[in-house]
Amino acid sequence: MDDQICPRCKTTKYRNPSLKLMVNVCGHALCESCVDLLFLKGSGACPECQIPLRRTNFRIQLFEDSMVEKEVDIRKRILRDFNKKEEDFTTLREYNDYLEEIETIIYNLANNIDVIETNKRIEQYKKANKEQILKSKSKLGREEYELEELLELEKQQEEERKLELIKQEVEMKKKKIREKEALIDELMFSEADAANIVETFASTIQATREEAKVVPVAKVTQFSTGIKFGRQGQQTFMPVPKVEEGPTYCYKRIEQEVEGPHPPGWQEMESGGYIAHVRSEKPAEKAGGFKSNIACLRALQEAMAGLYHNPSQRPPESMAI
Amino acid sequence: MTEKLRRYEKIDFLGEGQFATVYKARDTETDSIVAVKKIKVGSRAEAKDGINRTALREIKLLQELKHDNIIGLLDVFGHKSNVSLVFDFMDTDLEVIIKDSNIVLTSANVKSYMIQTLQGLEYLHFNWILHRDLKPNNLLVNSSGVLKIGDFGLAKFFGSPNRIYTHQVVTRWYRAPELLYGARLYGTGVDMWAIGCILAELLLRLPFLPGESDLDQLTRIFQTLGTPSDETWPGMTDLPDFIQFKPFPGTPLKHIFTAAGDDLLDLITSLLNVNPLERCTCDQALQMPYFSNKPPPTIGSKLPLPMTIRKEPEEKPSLKRKLLESMDGGSLAKRLQF
Repeated sequence: MDDQICPRCKTTKYRNPSLKLMVNVCGHALCESCVDLLFLKGSGACPECQIPLRRTNFRIQLFEDSMVEKEVDIRKRILRDFNKKEEDFTTLREYNDYLEEIETIIYNLANNIDVIETNKRIEQYKKANKEQILKSKSKLGREEYELEELLELEKQQEEERKLELIKQEVEMKKKKIREKEALIDELMFSEADAANIVETFASTIQATREEAKVVPVAKVTQFSTGIKFGRQGQQTFMPVPKVEEGPTYCYKRIEQEVEGPHPPGWQEMESGGYIAHVRSEKPAEKAGGFKSNIACLRALQEAMAGLYHNPSQRPPESMAI
Repeated sequence: MTEKLRRYEKIDFLGEGQFATVYKARDTETDSIVAVKKIKVGSRAEAKDGINRTALREIKLLQELKHDNIIGLLDVFGHKSNVSLVFDFMDTDLEVIIKDSNIVLTSANVKSYMIQTLQGLEYLHFNWILHRDLKPNNLLVNSSGVLKIGDFGLAKFFGSPNRIYTHQVVTRWYRAPELLYGARLYGTGVDMWAIGCILAELLLRLPFLPGESDLDQLTRIFQTLGTPSDETWPGMTDLPDFIQFKPFPGTPLKHIFTAAGDDLLDLITSLLNVNPLERCTCDQALQMPYFSNKPPPTIGSKLPLPMTIRKEPEEKPSLKRKLLESMDGGSLAKRLQF
């Protein structure tokens, strides 16, 4: 979105951060100040395509691509009339054909293909389905109303549940107090063994608690959005990919059989005095990342590797190559 | 030799490099897929020993190397004046994966790639071999998520004090500063620097230091990491091609790799140390906390792959719904509403 530019005054988002591009039905963008300037009288022609436009129809451009904007506009207008529902068709195929026709019309209008022809088609459809359109419109309104009602109902239920919970809690507290009092009374006035009394009380409380737990909560779920479920065969949402964790990494040193005495390591290079027998590195070599102990270690390793090798003890390895 | 020629059945042409053409082939003896690299004969000067030098290097070194993360040389055969090398078949390389915007690389994925690369490289360095051409393009990945270091055309034994080495190695973007300054004797540091650049590229999904010339490369390095002084890099003024740069303060790595944790930043800092002697080695790198910390590295089979080489290419549903829906009512009609 950084390279937004008004096609008329060439102002960019960079130069004017508060730049707002507006579009009208033709899909050509103009910045806010240009709109103010050009449509002072309330109506005028689009500077790009000369189509007469009303100022009130300008909207802020939501999509970067003004073609999308135009398409959305057309879609809104078309869907106002083409408002049949799936239930209005006997087979899915017919419904799909109908949807496809809508898409073709929208595509044609958005891309200026056979505009006259398409408009004729729309008019024809409107005439043929006048009643149907009106019916569907009122139905749509009714449906929206129903949805609102459903939401209201849900809210009420939520409220009720909350109240119920509070009530239950108070009840529980009261019950506990009552039980305690009963126990103390029993202990005060009964002749029986104190330990026995405590035990029986405890067990009865346990029993009632367990009973309370078993109460099944049968709830009827109803989606507020009115989505029908069980209709679509597959799940709507992809399962969230499980992050499978392998084992954490643990470093293992490389081991290699050398068939010889173990050569000294990096540390022993200096302490063992080996380094004294090798030409020490020049400053330029050191700066290049080379130290004489590299050469020293390699020479030692090569000298010692294979010293114990006895070809007669082992079958000759079959070379792969 | 002729039966070897018949052993490998050419399936597909894979690519062509400067020195060789690569084919995908089936090994009829083991019924496995392999890659056959046919070395170009080249001019007389290039092949004065009878065989191209890069091919000779690959044969010489790879014959003796055997590691999970090193490309395996399975066979070598010649026909007339041609030489062909047979390698493990690898589906893709890290460059393709980095560039594929459909692939999401998680931190666990990056860790897995780094571990595999470092393990392979540790084995090479352990055997006194410098790869000298590490770049995402040469880190090959197969469909089961195993990464192997490939292309040993520039690899060479190191650690000899008398031999002079050329500094014209490593693709420029991954070239260490000592090479750019013309060092003639160097060590494992040159490979480690490249690893650092590759790690940065895995994180950024863009080349980290894409220099346009050798000079520009050095400028970029010092701009990001700060110009070294004689204290931070002793002896640098003695390097053959040394040029004094104007002192750049460097950018904190934290600002470049905003999503990286401290353990990862430590690793990058250590790999991209301007002074080669201060740069960490493979075993030091692998022992850094980043690798043992959580998240653990992704197991091979779970590593992402480009769409084109999914194990079983699924049949794409055709765009024309009419062909599909006629039989069952399964396809749900959708109305677009804005």
